[in-house]
Amino acid sequence: MKKKVLAVLLSGCMAAGLLAGCGGKKEEASDKSADTKTEDTKEGSDKGGDYNFEVVVKSFQSSYWQAAVQGIKQAEEELGVKTNTTGPNAESDIADQVNMLNNAINKNPDGIALSACDQNSVLDSLQSALDKKIPVVCFDSGVPDAPEGSVYATVVTNNGAAGAIAADHIYETVKDKIANAKKPVRVGEVNQDATSANITERGLGFINRFKELAEKDGKKVAVIGNDYFVGKVENNGDEKSADVIIEVAVPAQTTVELCATEASNIMNKDDTIAMFGSNQVSAEGVLTANQNLSVLGSDPEKNIIAAGFDAGKTIKAAVKDGTLLGAVTQSPLMQGKLSIETLYKICQGETVEDIETDGYWYDSTNMEEADISPNLYD
Amino acid sequence: MANNTTKTAGRNRSVIDRLGGQKFIVLLVVIALFIFFCALSPNFRKYTTFLSILDYSYYITLMAIGVAFPLMTAGVDLSIGTGLICYSLVGGYLITFQGWPTWAGILASIVFGMAIGVLNGCLVALMDLPPFLATLCTCMITRGLGSIIVGRVGISWPAAGTEGGWFRSIFKIQMNGMNIPIGFLWIIIIVIIMTFVLNHTKIGRYTLAIGSNKEATRLSGVNVKFYHIFAYVISGFFAGLAAISYSAIFATVQPGSGAGFELEAIGGAIIGGVSMSGGAGSITGTLAGVFVICLLKTGLPFIGLAANWQQIITGLVLIAAVLVDILKRKKDQA
Repeated sequence: MKKKVLAVLLSGCMAAGLLAGCGGKKEEASDKSADTKTEDTKEGSDKGGDYNFEVVVKSFQSSYWQAAVQGIKQAEEELGVKTNTTGPNAESDIADQVNMLNNAINKNPDGIALSACDQNSVLDSLQSALDKKIPVVCFDSGVPDAPEGSVYATVVTNNGAAGAIAADHIYETVKDKIANAKKPVRVGEVNQDATSANITERGLGFINRFKELAEKDGKKVAVIGNDYFVGKVENNGDEKSADVIIEVAVPAQTTVELCATEASNIMNKDDTIAMFGSNQVSAEGVLTANQNLSVLGSDPEKNIIAAGFDAGKTIKAAVKDGTLLGAVTQSPLMQGKLSIETLYKICQGETVEDIETDGYWYDSTNMEEADISPNLYD
Repeated sequence: MANNTTKTAGRNRSVIDRLGGQKFIVLLVVIALFIFFCALSPNFRKYTTFLSILDYSYYITLMAIGVAFPLMTAGVDLSIGTGLICYSLVGGYLITFQGWPTWAGILASIVFGMAIGVLNGCLVALMDLPPFLATLCTCMITRGLGSIIVGRVGISWPAAGTEGGWFRSIFKIQMNGMNIPIGFLWIIIIVIIMTFVLNHTKIGRYTLAIGSNKEATRLSGVNVKFYHIFAYVISGFFAGLAAISYSAIFATVQPGSGAGFELEAIGGAIIGGVSMSGGAGSITGTLAGVFVICLLKTGLPFIGLAANWQQIITGLVLIAAVLVDILKRKKDQA
């Protein structure tokens, strides 16, 4: 008897869960159909496409993705297409995302826009998209080893170049300190993971540019820390004889407190002169660590000079008050929009090519400028 | 543990038992770990590192004190981790988007936590759902709910020094340019209060009694259902408090995160001697257990160990703690 009651309750609970889930989705769906409906009446039938696109983002964890979704919505309105956006809870939920991608493929949409959490895990899914002849456009993160022909175009920030911008600005500020240093100095970098293409390219872009600049000034550079990043560095120097040590940290999970622990470990060292957090979570980790350490600031003689990546309220406030030297922002809104536009073009039979959007350096002097501020989401 | 059951009374007790049993061993482990990391890493010895350990410990400690109660009824509460983020998102949303004053947002977080606690309690005590399953469901529900309520945006509670940012100094105040971790004082006070509640009030005694033998407790005329639900309400209340401490320390609260926090809290409670089979446990032990986890979490990066090692080592420590628990129980029964 007891078991039966339990069984009934369990199934009740599950049904309730299902209903709750459906309820949420329905609301979203009706939202979207309302959007497209108004567009349809406005634009009439001159648009050939009543296309359905599936969008799989990395997560909704940071406000960065909110901006991307905003861009997707804009494209949806302008082109009169339908999109459905899904994404896992956290950028480290790789398996969840693959699942979502497979579901998206099974819906047989006219195209898929994908921002892959992990560049290797999605390969099988991309193959099945190719078999079904569903065009895929990658945005934010590329998939370098994708099956030939599956990914039609990639819309990404030139992450290597964006990371290098941060290195340029930090190096400019600490140049004299490095030149005059009698002992080796340390530059720290926190990356939230070592699996996604954009984070790794960005991290390496920073490392390589900083190394290049320091070596040009006759300094020996060694890169230490996370094996993946160290392995990717060419002509790595020896830590013992180096003048500049670049220490790369990657936490076990992409959470802000673990990024903060890794950051405070580096910022605690006496020889650390600069820090770089390569996305919103890791830059906030650097700032969280600084709450106790209070070592960041704008005077290279007294402070550790730090730069971040992306925006968000906390990072913007830190750039404004000089805790961060500055940060590099991408154009998430443009990327979301461009990826839908590219899918639309593919469906219209046009040829498309990869698009690289720029990263922009911002600091307290140019935050308010017209070409920067729209990209600085909260 | 042993001191909370009457079994050992009148028996020859070992020195360790007299000093508090497993609690004492765990305290030794905490001290040993601290010395170990201090010896190996000069940076670990700094005051600021000490501050960081405390900062990152508050929310786990509060969750662990709360979840100790369901654990002592031989249940569990898996909803506290995602719940913490959910309550924090809701409170922060009300403050930043709805213009609520900070105190009202804090209150809302705690009340929301207690409401989920009531739900958990009813599912377990009234409807006889296995606690693991019931709270796993509410874990999923809170995970989704937080994201839906805030519309999937990360929420920043008011920053320190801005209007409504006073709550950030609940846990840390600045005096003469020095950061004082005043939060630890509150933790100590809470530990004292909850130790009293556990050992000297009906709520605590019946919680332990339900965990030891629910049927016997019911037959002796105790309103078992009420006290069983109450254990989960305590857990929810502390998850709400933990949400406040998390929001006070970290700048942004991100929807979708929080899964896994509960395991650190439950792990801490178990290391501290709370028995998963119910009926035994202490709040002071829980506090010590949490610090084992926090020290490992903060210390291992400082001695240059890759981050994933910390997870392996925490797992091993947990196995050791549960083994100690099992061995002790066998000895008690012998």
